[in-house]
Amino acid sequence: MVGQTQRVRRSGEEELTRFLLRRIALAVPTLFGIVVVVFLLVHLAPGSPASALGSAESGRRVSAAARAELRHLYGLDRPLPERFVRWLGRVARFDLGESFVDRRPVSERIREALPATLALNGLALFFTLAIAIPIGVAAGGRPEGPFDRGSAVVLFALYSTPVFWAALLVQTLLCVKLGWLPLYGVSSDPAPAGFAGLADRLAHLALPVTCLTYGSLAFFARLVRSGVAEARAQDFVTAALARGLSRRQALWRHAFRNALLPLVTLLGLLLPGLLSGSVIVERIFAWPGLGRLYFDSILSRDYPVVLGLSLLGGVATLAATLAADVAAALVDPRLRESG
Amino acid sequence: MIRRLPASGRVALSVVALLWLVAAISPLFAGRASEIRLEDRLRAPSLAHPFGTDDLGRDLAARVVVATPISLTIGLVAAAVSLSVGFGIGGAAGYFGGATDLLLSRLIEVVLCFPVLFLLLALAAFLPPSPTTVVLAIGLTTWPSDARYARAEILKAKSLDYARAAKAAGASPMRILVRHLLPNALAPLLVSAAFGVSWAILAEAALSFLGVGLPAPAASWGGILSSAPAYIEEAWWLALFPGLALFATVSAYNLLAESLRRATTEAGGK
Repeated sequence: MVGQTQRVRRSGEEELTRFLLRRIALAVPTLFGIVVVVFLLVHLAPGSPASALGSAESGRRVSAAARAELRHLYGLDRPLPERFVRWLGRVARFDLGESFVDRRPVSERIREALPATLALNGLALFFTLAIAIPIGVAAGGRPEGPFDRGSAVVLFALYSTPVFWAALLVQTLLCVKLGWLPLYGVSSDPAPAGFAGLADRLAHLALPVTCLTYGSLAFFARLVRSGVAEARAQDFVTAALARGLSRRQALWRHAFRNALLPLVTLLGLLLPGLLSGSVIVERIFAWPGLGRLYFDSILSRDYPVVLGLSLLGGVATLAATLAADVAAALVDPRLRESG
Repeated sequence: MIRRLPASGRVALSVVALLWLVAAISPLFAGRASEIRLEDRLRAPSLAHPFGTDDLGRDLAARVVVATPISLTIGLVAAAVSLSVGFGIGGAAGYFGGATDLLLSRLIEVVLCFPVLFLLLALAAFLPPSPTTVVLAIGLTTWPSDARYARAEILKAKSLDYARAAKAAGASPMRILVRHLLPNALAPLLVSAAFGVSWAILAEAALSFLGVGLPAPAASWGGILSSAPAYIEEAWWLALFPGLALFATVSAYNLLAESLRRATTEAGGK
């Protein structure tokens, strides 16, 4: 009897280990693919990046010295395979090169912009879940009820609203007409100290966070809604109600758990969407984060920064999806089988 | 198919038809849209200028109308590129399975890992600016979601009885694909197409808003919107009306896609 349980447990652990190994093994070619795609980005422009730098359309003239440096940096005169191996070697050493704009290491510029983006995206992620989950649970609790239908219409309209348009409208209304919130920036100049300083920063955060949040509400609310609606009809929720749990308890403690798993698995894929949104939102609100750094680097053809940030975005998403998959498998043993 | 659409879907379809109608008659407004009258710059909406005028005194309503075919066409063509690439790669992965599937699925996963706008901006900015560049940039960055969808649909269809029956009857893989699987993939294809168009219109608008979309003088709704931030303190209409056109178009296509999906899944369930 005891031996049997132990055997079962051991095979469960083996299964988990096998799952983890398989998942990581699948991530290795993906990681390699990301590095290849980023490498190809710099070779996109007809001819070479160096020629694109000086092209008339780009509207920017780049000195011959910078062009020569670029050719040297990427070894553009060498054959493609050799270039690729060199690029691989630099990535492996986390050497992203120097920014063309201010000669500082790319990693340093990324590190400077990271906190602003983390604050923005962290808050956006928090509010997305904090708003979408209760809506999804309430809607799934009574499918096709008035709240379900009403919330679906509102979320659908929000989903269809272009973020740059929404940003301009709220800026016009709340900042220009009513004067409640600052138009852009991280803080007032000069920034007030102490508690007023904190309030000032929050006021500056309010609109960018809102703009980064509203678009993804529909997706997550719908995900939670379908999980809850599906579980609601099942015996374990009926049983919970029969045991005397309130409707609210039955929905949150039992039905919502059913929706939690797909939610966790998809969290990793939220990251690229947030970073995409950051580019637009940070540009409109003059927010000094990664999105703005990326956009500025695109405009100034600062290839090392563009490549570094693309690589970072891809690898971070891969890591996040991997972590989400592993977390889901830890919670639900059934997932370990399909891998 | 239209008969099966719910009421919301018919409304969406009418709006889409109306937009294409506006696009068709838009050349009539071309003259008015490009007429620069500096003495009339930044006028608020009035009877003479229902949407007001822009920073060069051009009539904003005419500009929004003239931008309609640009946004709609780019959205349609870019979505077609994305769908062809996506359904080709995803369909092949699902149909052939095995090593092909493993390889193509990695490829899909790789592209999905990048923030779409990162790739989109890089492609649009590094390639010479032209409508072709915009279409290709959008098509080549948004196909992975189409591919994932196509792969799942083909996998599902392959396991259905009619496909297995055709195989048992000795039909060649090509015949099964063309005669049996493709006709049944039509509904998901239409749903993807409608979502794809709305996505592509948004992507083009975002690129043009950021200033790396269509080269001047062609102006899409996103392009008109790009001048709005500079005048945000004085001319709210510059932001409101082009965005409203964009919002109406994107919601109509989204609603159409949603209704198509509902119509086809409900029909399939019965």
